[in-house]
Amino acid sequence: MNILLLLIPLSLAFLGFAVWIFFWAVDHDQFEDLDTPALLPLADSKREEPPE
Amino acid sequence: MPGTSNCWHCGESLPQGVDIHARVAGAMRAMCCQGCLAAAEWIEQLGLADYYAMRAAPGHKPDAAADEAAHDAWQNTDNARHVIRDLGDGRRESLLLVDGIRCTACVWLIERSLSALAGVASVQVNAAAQRARVTWLDSQIKLPRILQALARTGYRALPLDARGLDDLRRLESRDALKRLVVAGFGAMQAMMFASVIYVAGNTIEPSTRELLRWLGLLVATPVVFYSARTFFVGAWRSLAARRVGMDVPVALAIAAVYVASFIEAWRGSGEVYFDSISMFVFFLLAGRYLEMRARHRARDLTDSLARLTPPFADRQCEDGFRRVGMHELRVGDCVRVAEGGIVPADGVLLGEHCRVDEALLSGESAPVRKTRGDALVAGSVLEDGPVLLRVERVGADTALANIAALVGRAHAERPQLQIAGERAAGRFVARVLAVTALTAIGWGLFDPSRAFSAAVAVLVISCPCAFALAVPAAFTRALGALARRGVLVVRPDAIQALAESTHALFDKTGTLTEPTLSLADVQSMGASRDALRLAATLARQSRHPVARAIAATDVGFEESMVSDVSTHAGLGVSAQVSGRALRLGRGDFAMAGRPLPTALDDAVLLADDAGPIAAFRVRERLRADAAATVDALRAQQMTVLMASGDAAAKVAAVAERVKVDTWRARAMPADKLAWLAELRAGGARVLAIGDGINDAPVLAGADVSIALAEGAELTQASSDIVLTGGRLDAIAGARDIARQTLAIVRQNHRWALVYNLSAVPLAAFGFIPPWLAAVGMSLSSLGVILNALRIGRGAQSNKTEASAATTPAAHEAVA
Repeated sequence: MNILLLLIPLSLAFLGFAVWIFFWAVDHDQFEDLDTPALLPLADSKREEPPE
Repeated sequence: MPGTSNCWHCGESLPQGVDIHARVAGAMRAMCCQGCLAAAEWIEQLGLADYYAMRAAPGHKPDAAADEAAHDAWQNTDNARHVIRDLGDGRRESLLLVDGIRCTACVWLIERSLSALAGVASVQVNAAAQRARVTWLDSQIKLPRILQALARTGYRALPLDARGLDDLRRLESRDALKRLVVAGFGAMQAMMFASVIYVAGNTIEPSTRELLRWLGLLVATPVVFYSARTFFVGAWRSLAARRVGMDVPVALAIAAVYVASFIEAWRGSGEVYFDSISMFVFFLLAGRYLEMRARHRARDLTDSLARLTPPFADRQCEDGFRRVGMHELRVGDCVRVAEGGIVPADGVLLGEHCRVDEALLSGESAPVRKTRGDALVAGSVLEDGPVLLRVERVGADTALANIAALVGRAHAERPQLQIAGERAAGRFVARVLAVTALTAIGWGLFDPSRAFSAAVAVLVISCPCAFALAVPAAFTRALGALARRGVLVVRPDAIQALAESTHALFDKTGTLTEPTLSLADVQSMGASRDALRLAATLARQSRHPVARAIAATDVGFEESMVSDVSTHAGLGVSAQVSGRALRLGRGDFAMAGRPLPTALDDAVLLADDAGPIAAFRVRERLRADAAATVDALRAQQMTVLMASGDAAAKVAAVAERVKVDTWRARAMPADKLAWLAELRAGGARVLAIGDGINDAPVLAGADVSIALAEGAELTQASSDIVLTGGRLDAIAGARDIARQTLAIVRQNHRWALVYNLSAVPLAAFGFIPPWLAAVGMSLSSLGVILNALRIGRGAQSNKTEASAATTPAAHEAVA
């Protein structure tokens, strides 16, 4: 059962990391508009890098 | 997509004799005018021609003159100050309401064309909200330049008040999303740790068990203290206001189970319920999140007063006219309103006469003729102009503002159905707590060592789940199912009201009929075979709705041959076409004094010097799904009624075609409200469906109300349900879902009651070990959720794209 002592903290660390990534994404406007970006990549074949 | 005879950019039919072409993506495309040519060339030059391949609706015809004037006004720093936010380091930010974003291609085009401007730092377009957030470097570019660039591509943009940038709603939705995800992760992990205890039972070492309990506590703690904080805050707030809201029992249950489990974990003896409590919080938050999204979305579709009143007015001063911001306007000022402009404040007409479209206020389509001294109402659109007006009332005193206030009052008077449910939940929790206390006391007398675990078992087996989830699970599912059908529920208890409604009260104009007029009948006389084309040629010279209906017919026109155009307000248009003097308009005007055949009295006439050429009758076109909707509602045993401010003959004609038996014509908002009160006094529960602003009080006063999203904006602010894409046929389906939802809520309640009645006594007498109590609770909630998932499964969701449904209407609106 000692393996639990490694695996459980590991899973909790993953969990914490996942929550942190998610918070980061929310704070960086990734969930502001879920409808608009759907079509955008389809036409991105040529020219112009996206702004920024 | 436009065919070969239509303009490649805006989709209008090509005028005869006009030969303009632009090279777009390697092919020559026909254009109808210089404006469209400029827009197409500009798009091509930016390398954004992909727009034409991606778009789902035709583009806009740029209206250079009007836009130019508006943009000049933003040059005035005083006017621009309240719409621009200074971000420091030379960057400025503004929130624009962009009219006419119709599809994703528009978003792409706007983002790309603005980003191509030197000095624009970032552009974010939200199609659902029709908003663009633009950041730029003040040293390199100014706001008017940005607005001009938008206008060149055919989009009219209105900067919104900069306070909109610090969007409270944005914070609210981010916060809710974070809480939801933390609760979800917490529930998954807690369940994992708990299921090990449940499955392995006593076969694992006590120390491992101990570890798993503490881990459960570890993951449940953020769920309770972070995710569930909204419930505690809400409960505290309603207690402070001496009310018992829905948050109170929920907060009580969460706190009780958490504290009990915490004590058990500390003592290391009994059972812990961190999994149940995390799941409970997660399900409740998921329900609230979906509800909030639906609410925000419905609000986003509109920005009521921003679009109804213009940001500027042209005020008369010693040396002509000066453009001033609305806030500078004072009573007694003289302002000029241009043709097609919006009246900025309530006032008195100083000019001879004019026609105004008061559809936003009265909801009716026909323009109203005003003569000198008549009152003009803020928010109405001038059909011909320009005219002078003396300001009588501004800001909060205007009729428009009063309507908004009326809406607010009607809201306050609404019977709150929610309260009953909350009271029931409160009573239930009180009883559970009493039973828990009795259990603890009873066991304390006989066997104190078992008192605590038995009490906790009672609390867990009964308290939160099945009962508390019965409503949210079903409602969450119903909100999702309805949203997929284009029905956005703004107020959650509207579902119940919709299911229980017995009468449907429709408005006519813009609800059962299309918001734009259409040509009903063309009666051609004499030899001229292309009467319609001649009429369309003339009609293009006027902004009158009837003229627009004639011009919208797809027959082409001869722009190059037209000369000597003059518009006669309230009468018609006259012009020379190919050397013939033609007049289009009211019968007496078109015949220019000669006797008018009585049969043509009510028609719009096209005539030349020799006599009448053709007669046109314009009619409001019924929405394609109007009759089917009324039928479907009647099939659900509803009484269908109709009220309109229009003349009796027109209302009767519509009533006959959609088979509505009971209707009232010439009904002012007050009459409609009175009828509503009469119906409700007779025991009816009324569903009101409308779109004009004059419906707003009626919509707010009905038991439940539905607004069509393309209608005037204020109505939506006061309606419970918003239909997107203008599809009436969604109503009957929505009511089906609402009824199914109520049925399932009732089933869930019954199931929870049966479960609790059988399980609580067993738990109280100590027959149920706590782990079984937890399993029982999980299974009972699972039953509730699975049952809720049946909502909306039966009826096939209609997959028609909203864009496909709106395209023809939108097309006509620009034509």
